[in-house]
Amino acid sequence: MASEAANDDHIIEVRGLINQFGTNRVHDELDLSVNHGEVMGLIGGSGTGKSVLFRSILGLHRPNAGRITVLGREIQFRRPGPEKDWGVLFQSGALLSGLTVQQNVELPIALHSEMSSASRAELAVLKIRMTGLPVQAAAKYPSELSGGMVKRAALARALALEPKLLFLDEPTSGLDPVAATEFDQLIDYLKRSLDLTVVMITHDLDSVFGICDQIAVLVDRKTVTGPPTEIAQIDHPWIQRYFGDPRAQRAMTASDPHDR
Amino acid sequence: MATDYLTIARDADELAVGLRGDWLFDNVPSLEANLEDVDFSGNESVVFHCGGLQNIDIAGAWVLFHKSQEIKHQGREIGFRGFKEAHFKFLENITSLEDAPPLTDIRGRASGRLQSMVESVGESTLAGVADVGRIASAIFSGITQPSRIVWRETLSQFEQVAFRATPIVLLVCTLMGLVLAYQGATQLQKFGASIFVVDLVSISIVREMGVLLTAIIVAGRSGSAFAASIGVMNLNEETDALRVMGLNPDHVLVIPRVAALTVALPMLTVLGIMAGLAGGTLLCQLVLDISPSQFVQRAASAVDSADVFAGLIKAPVFALLIAAVSTLRGLQVQSSAAELGRLTTVAVVQSITLIILADGIFTVMFVRYGI
Repeated sequence: MASEAANDDHIIEVRGLINQFGTNRVHDELDLSVNHGEVMGLIGGSGTGKSVLFRSILGLHRPNAGRITVLGREIQFRRPGPEKDWGVLFQSGALLSGLTVQQNVELPIALHSEMSSASRAELAVLKIRMTGLPVQAAAKYPSELSGGMVKRAALARALALEPKLLFLDEPTSGLDPVAATEFDQLIDYLKRSLDLTVVMITHDLDSVFGICDQIAVLVDRKTVTGPPTEIAQIDHPWIQRYFGDPRAQRAMTASDPHDR
Repeated sequence: MATDYLTIARDADELAVGLRGDWLFDNVPSLEANLEDVDFSGNESVVFHCGGLQNIDIAGAWVLFHKSQEIKHQGREIGFRGFKEAHFKFLENITSLEDAPPLTDIRGRASGRLQSMVESVGESTLAGVADVGRIASAIFSGITQPSRIVWRETLSQFEQVAFRATPIVLLVCTLMGLVLAYQGATQLQKFGASIFVVDLVSISIVREMGVLLTAIIVAGRSGSAFAASIGVMNLNEETDALRVMGLNPDHVLVIPRVAALTVALPMLTVLGIMAGLAGGTLLCQLVLDISPSQFVQRAASAVDSADVFAGLIKAPVFALLIAAVSTLRGLQVQSSAAELGRLTTVAVVQSITLIILADGIFTVMFVRYGI
């Protein structure tokens, strides 16, 4: 397996990805590499195919061409992938509405482990508390939770199987700034203590400068990858508009990821 | 002593438990079994050390931590040597929070559950009464002050519930006519009274079966569609969007459906009755040698206007029941996909039950007033 991957350190390798809808080509020979242990932020204007790239990597979308390898396994559309080694947090949480938070977290454990139901329940509660939710939330249904709590519960489910790789789709969207900062800190903390690699779609400039080691900007149907502070210097109209925004300037000066 | 995941060394005042192999999520059942086999019943202090440990993750660390807490509660010294600090800091942080109640408490005790059950029955009854009033007032205000948007929506609903339902109504009613005639024929032939099959078929189809069968088909078909479509609109906040634009969803969603169905069901019933009679005619021709012209003649004398009235007057009432119940159930969908499915089922079941109940009331009334 190792010989197949170009670089052992690359948790995710995307090579020559092409995605086209009708005559509208959103990705043209797109390449992307994510290294072990980094937080990679995917940013780009709307319609640039952030979600399509995300879904292609997860095997939820069939690309027109290209090769995607995650954790040394080639991803094929709707074929089993490294389900045990990745966790996914969807934008709206995507908790199953008929199950309580605890049952939602237990579900992947039940599918992938033979452990007793008592251990499963306790491990699920542990994961729920790891994400900062009170224990009482475990017995609640998703409809009874606030937006921030839904995201945390969904994160607990994503972490249920001890993944090596975490995918987050706009984790801080719909959260107030305080909750968003807390969520960023939680992700940063979990990433450090659990040795995770994180890929996140985000619009949130505070997240970009706060927790991303690398960002991949989707412009002109390809990605431009680098540390946020370097990307901000690139002379491209969209990138300049994005980072030239006063809010971006504030976020950039407010937080330097390397001194946290 | 050693197992796959443990090495045990015992000396005078210390039980040294060494970890080996992969203490990972996948191995949790065997890890627990391994720990279970160790005799921790002595009095010496217990020290866990990570001698041959390859990998450990949260799940593995939790199994160990869980066991250590158990031993601690027996009042014995425990210690850890040389573990990945990150995981244990994690677990310590989490388990040291004393404010958390044990799981059994948050699930609620039986008495609490009974109380909340009774409360929820009461609340849902009140909500049900309020909802019925809401639908009734929506229908009433729709009749008194119809608006333009409602008209357009009514037409598109009419197309859905009337034209698209025609083939299935025709098919089912024809088959019902055939079955009725065949059942009648096998019985009445014994008495040489085959011609009365025509009376049987025509009166039962016109008075009862035509309208009942059509209403049940429509309840299953359009009732579920009403409930599901309005339910999804509720979940997507479309009804809220209507409200903030100044439109009352009760008017925009309920009235067109009620109006469309109230007009459509009598029309479908007429078609259904005709299809049923056609089915009867066909069978009489094939099995009893009664020609279509004989059938029509006999049927015309058997069925009088009171029968036609009795059959058709039920249709708009049934339509009102179906439309009101299913739109109401759709509007009650609040939070989840599961609720949507449940309330759609409730809509269809209650529509059909109410139809048959109403049919019974009609029958008693008709008998009493001699219609």
